[in-house]
Amino acid sequence: MIDIQDLYFGYKREGLFSSLDLKLLPGSIYGLLGKNGAGKTTLLKLISGLRFARAGQCSVFGYVSKERPAGLLEEIYFIPEEFFLPPISQPLYEQLYAPFYPRFNATAFRSYLTEFDLKRGKKLSELSYGQKKKYLLAFGLATGCRLLLLDEPTNGLDIPAKSQFRKLLARAITEEQIILISTHQVRDMENLIDPVIILDEGQIIFQQSMNEVTRRLTVQLEQDRPDDDSVIYLDETLGGYMVVRENRGSGETRIDLETLFNSVIGNREKIETIFSSQPLESEV
Amino acid sequence: MEKTLKQGTDFFKPRRFLLLLRRDFSNGYRSVLIAMAAVSGFIILFSALSALQGRNDEFYTAIFAQLLFIGGYIVSSLAFKELHQPGRSYFYCTLPGSLVEKFSSKLLVTSLGYALGTLIFCTIVGAASEGINRLIFGRGHYFFNPLDMNILLMIAVYLVTQSVFLTGSVYFRKVAFLKTTLIVNGAAIAFGLIIALIFYLIFREHIHPGGLEPWIESIFNERGYTGQIEAELGNFVSPFLSLIKILFWYVLAPVCWLISYFRLSETEV
Repeated sequence: MIDIQDLYFGYKREGLFSSLDLKLLPGSIYGLLGKNGAGKTTLLKLISGLRFARAGQCSVFGYVSKERPAGLLEEIYFIPEEFFLPPISQPLYEQLYAPFYPRFNATAFRSYLTEFDLKRGKKLSELSYGQKKKYLLAFGLATGCRLLLLDEPTNGLDIPAKSQFRKLLARAITEEQIILISTHQVRDMENLIDPVIILDEGQIIFQQSMNEVTRRLTVQLEQDRPDDDSVIYLDETLGGYMVVRENRGSGETRIDLETLFNSVIGNREKIETIFSSQPLESEV
Repeated sequence: MEKTLKQGTDFFKPRRFLLLLRRDFSNGYRSVLIAMAAVSGFIILFSALSALQGRNDEFYTAIFAQLLFIGGYIVSSLAFKELHQPGRSYFYCTLPGSLVEKFSSKLLVTSLGYALGTLIFCTIVGAASEGINRLIFGRGHYFFNPLDMNILLMIAVYLVTQSVFLTGSVYFRKVAFLKTTLIVNGAAIAFGLIIALIFYLIFREHIHPGGLEPWIESIFNERGYTGQIEAELGNFVSPFLSLIKILFWYVLAPVCWLISYFRLSETEV
């Protein structure tokens, strides 16, 4: 479990997080969304112990993350947006780094590489950016780490690889694992991330499961521009307006991540009111 | 309940330490091989050229000293280079291993590992070079003796002094070797100035164009110590020299290791 309590963090004189609270439980692929500079990457770094909070607590599986104890590092695999791979052969990389992870599954690793269409003979330095990323993703999944932190994992991946990535991740996750994905590419993460966490101005302003989202919000394509108070968010599209409203028992509709994100950022107070209200009648 | 570093095998696990050691060796072996090939050629060439001019008993000792100290300090300064490179630092910091394991692996590779490697390298290249010299010119220098007391003393001095450069490697993002050298020289100059200042403050009344000697002589003459000035001065200075020796051999390296360790634990990426 990841447990962040009353955390403060900032760069130099600028504050970023103040009194941040977050709890993540195993068995889910969490999506961390936010605007540029919202602190998504910093949050991943704080969780993995690469950055230290000014105050408050950040613990991962019971370890204090800033101490970077070996027991914790054996459970974390972090793939940043700008990653590093040493200029060595693939078998040597596996030979050198796989033993650091007690639950590394070599068979699974090979199958992931095959699924990503990566040839094992090539040196890591000879791979393209996207291929390197695939290699790291395959390695990360094969480590069996209980926490997988992925920063913009689909950046640089080709179209088939994005789909492969989603399938692999959905298949590989176990009940003991937490996968936290920070991304701007929300369309790549559609049908994968659940729950969704939205970070804005140093605060977690939204953390809900997609199930809850579909129960609380409804999205409809309307031909005329609505002007009633029930509109949370609207977006002009081909053939009309995509309108997000509170779901008042009119049936469940599927809201895409981009629309959800824009709704939360655009109408934060209303969203907070809707999600903090009593359970729906159908739930009682 | 929060878990901390010292629980269970988190603090030090020989298996993880060996994995880190293997990784550190593996990362640097190509550069080391290239450097060794270049230095081998240099030694063989210059050994032959100097053998033509006559036998030099100190040839290999001098080569060994340069390789050990200059090369070793450069290698030590590069030990934690990956900690300061944006792409690599996260990779190193999240690599499963405790701080003790990570630090001691770098320490072992750059201190004892480098010293022994240089010793073996010089012995082999020295023997090969002398074989060539004798074969071609019928003469050469003395063979390099790795068990010579002077050589072993150099290694001991290196093991102590390299800790300063290892600390520099943790602290400085760029050109760690030059910055550490600058600081060491600066510290030496500052130390010298402080000693000179203390000396001046104590003995300023006796300093005149003739120097201190007439005054010291007069003291010893008064006390009947004529002819033993140097020995008496030696007795006066020896406690300070002992203190400096203790500080050098037993304090300097552990202090540097501690500073490096704590700095490493505070490193953010």
